[in-house]
Amino acid sequence: MQDGKPEGEITLNKSYFRLAAGLGGAVLLCAAASAFAQAAVWVGQIKVSRGIVVLERGGQKLPGMVGVRLKENDVILTEANGSAGLMFNDNSTLSLGPNAEVVLERYAYDSTTYLGAFDAFVKRGAVSIEAGNLANAQPEAVRVKTPQAELKGQARSFAVNVEGK
Amino acid sequence: MMLDRHAAKQLKTLASLFLALGLAACAGPRETYVVLPDAGGQAGALTVTPKAGKPLQLSGAYANAQGGADGAQTGKLSEQEIKAAFAEAMSARPESPQRFTLYFLEGRDELTVDSKKEMDKVLAEVRRRPAPDVIVVGHTDRVGSLADNDRLALRRAERLRSELLKQGLPGDSVQAAGRGEREPLVATTDEVAEPRNRRVEMLVR
Repeated sequence: MQDGKPEGEITLNKSYFRLAAGLGGAVLLCAAASAFAQAAVWVGQIKVSRGIVVLERGGQKLPGMVGVRLKENDVILTEANGSAGLMFNDNSTLSLGPNAEVVLERYAYDSTTYLGAFDAFVKRGAVSIEAGNLANAQPEAVRVKTPQAELKGQARSFAVNVEGK
Repeated sequence: MMLDRHAAKQLKTLASLFLALGLAACAGPRETYVVLPDAGGQAGALTVTPKAGKPLQLSGAYANAQGGADGAQTGKLSEQEIKAAFAEAMSARPESPQRFTLYFLEGRDELTVDSKKEMDKVLAEVRRRPAPDVIVVGHTDRVGSLADNDRLALRRAERLRSELLKQGLPGDSVQAAGRGEREPLVATTDEVAEPRNRRVEMLVR
């Protein structure tokens, strides 16, 4: 996998898509069964998904397809051919280029007062962020951490690139 | 003599190359931080606080800095270089939400004739988006009691919510809420009939 042999790549992709199809069904079933209970827990949704995008939740890898709902502590990963766009409950957006990894460390939002907090950890990759209603109430409510720094401010739109090791 | 000088020069080049490679390895992953203009073209200030060294203040569109294990320094990237470095991430940004305002007949949860046509536009926008979700917030004018208007506002929102569900949107993709007479579009004194306040605001995302 690391040395990128073509045969290895193809096997990985095939099994991934089989996994994706199976899990997609399971995810839909679960969503229907507990839609009400989960509605309050969801913090956002994958609105754009190109190439291979993976959602890691509680140690499990799920396909990061368009429409998938996001929770606190979810990890979004993109492969070399992947990119993804996420929208959160307060209209904040976060988008990832290829070979990126972002942890949604904390998300809280009150839709009446616009109060809350959003902390994302950009582990690697190019990521752009646009703050939504959260920043209307508190300009520094949306914060981004990287391996080497922490970012916050009045800027509603900013971007971070963490080059791979 | 000439040969020696040439050899020494080559050696020096080689040494500086190794030094550069060595330093790059020591610094670990390099990071870039950039302020971008927002949807309205405005750009604010961003504070970068590195784990090592002093915090940096980035101000204005495309202001940038570079960071690593050794701290952060102001960067000199041009707008073009920034757009190129973030092209894929920026092209994956979700589309901006679209806002619609629909108006109701007095005291009822029935849309005006014009707003029935507007509802078709809402449905078209919902169908156009790959993974739509809608936020529906109902409002009233100030005729009647606060409590009655809270109920009427929610009824208006729920009425449009069920329209969206009929079109096949899953229940968890449409949130309905009522704000009663608390957030008028046009400020009036109490008990004033104001058609522009009898409305539902919908955000298609």
